[in-house]
Amino acid sequence: MSISTPGGNQRRPDVVSSGKKSGAGKPAGGNQSPASARKSTANRTSSGSAGKKGRKPITPVKVSQGTNWGPIALFAVVGLVAVSIVGYTAFLAFNGSKPWEERAAAIDGISNFRESDPELVAGGNHVTGSVNYTVVPPVAGEHNAAWQNCTGNVYDAPIANEHAVHSLEHGAIWITYRPDLAPEQVAKLQERVVGTEKMMMSPFDGLDSPISLQAWGYQLKLDNADDSRIDDFIRALRVNASIEGPNALCEQGVTATGTTPRNLAGM
Amino acid sequence: MSSSSVTEPTTTGEPAQTGPTGAQRRYGLGAVALAIVVGMLLGVAAGALIARPGTPGDDSPEAGFARDMSTHHQQAVAMGLIAFQQGSDADVRSIGVDIAASQQGEYGMMQGWLRSWELDPTGEQPRMAWMPDGESMVDGGLMPGMASTEEMERLRTAQGKELDILFLEMMIKHHIGGIHMVDALLDQSDHELVTEAAQRMKNTQQKDLTNLRTALERLQG
Repeated sequence: MSISTPGGNQRRPDVVSSGKKSGAGKPAGGNQSPASARKSTANRTSSGSAGKKGRKPITPVKVSQGTNWGPIALFAVVGLVAVSIVGYTAFLAFNGSKPWEERAAAIDGISNFRESDPELVAGGNHVTGSVNYTVVPPVAGEHNAAWQNCTGNVYDAPIANEHAVHSLEHGAIWITYRPDLAPEQVAKLQERVVGTEKMMMSPFDGLDSPISLQAWGYQLKLDNADDSRIDDFIRALRVNASIEGPNALCEQGVTATGTTPRNLAGM
Repeated sequence: MSSSSVTEPTTTGEPAQTGPTGAQRRYGLGAVALAIVVGMLLGVAAGALIARPGTPGDDSPEAGFARDMSTHHQQAVAMGLIAFQQGSDADVRSIGVDIAASQQGEYGMMQGWLRSWELDPTGEQPRMAWMPDGESMVDGGLMPGMASTEEMERLRTAQGKELDILFLEMMIKHHIGGIHMVDALLDQSDHELVTEAAQRMKNTQQKDLTNLRTALERLQG
């Protein structure tokens, strides 16, 4: 408002006077220099205020010989809108291309074991039998040679940690929930799993929060399936958190439930 | 602005006090609206340059295709490997491993696109949102042609000729759905890398369909 108001004030008499001047200037012929001098000031001022928009500044000169504030204000608006859109796009491009680690770190309440326990997250040997995991539900470490199938699998009973950790290593997100979680909450979690590879979910006995999300080296505990951090977690970490890359399989593994790990030979 | 206002008083008279509406009267709301539109166009054009030209964005058909076809392909890999491992017919085993290997390769290629575009394997948009009416084609979370968890379990536990036939039927349905998605990408994209690959996928799957149908006729005949 503060910009457009003086522009409006000053332009009115200006147009009138420029009409007189150009009428007087033309027959004289020799009176060209003041007009052209004004032209160049108009050029300079308008190009300065419109913010480097190539051919725009020329237009106001054609409309009026004097310093015409109307068009200048208009092009200032054009410039302002353009610059703000450019700025916003640049912000989005910058923000969107932030590495996934940074976006994961920005999720409120996330546990990052890559940072706190790099040795655990470095990789996992294959072992037979049960493994005592220090983090529960587990997020990394030794695991069974067989992985739990994770191409959008929804398990209705607890599964073996030893298989699930292998799935995490392959890039899967493992959603776990306390068995007493309300069915409509479970259904909301299920929507995020069914039909998407590198996703699986199962109930987990003795969970200390209603919901817990696991990716290789990461965990996020939550109270509610409506929490938008669920999608942030999946977006940042699904496949990305894998230390093996996207080509690791989520099929040809274990599809059975039950918390006792199986040996591949016996499948 | 400040430098121009210095030159201004020389040509401006005092009396213009009713100014605030001056600009509006002379140029009208239409001109102001036009200015804003022009500004937006300039902004979008310049913004597009900043956001790396030629690189599909998070909500582009190319990125949506790469993500959704990745999931679609993983199920074909799963079916193919089961057929390779458990099929009783030599032809079925051979088709199975061929499909599994080639679709796993294409899966890696698509994941590579996303990485080079600096996009996540998981998009901001829901699955199939990149396809016109795509979201309405999602049935129980499954994209066109995909088998349910129960159907996959049935295939896994089937044996002998029953497994052979089940695999052929499921893979025919899967490929038809896949080709439908490929066509939707080809309709929308002129990104050469992606459309060329999509066209190759379509060629391969159409060839597969012929072989799958021939084998099915033979086994059912």
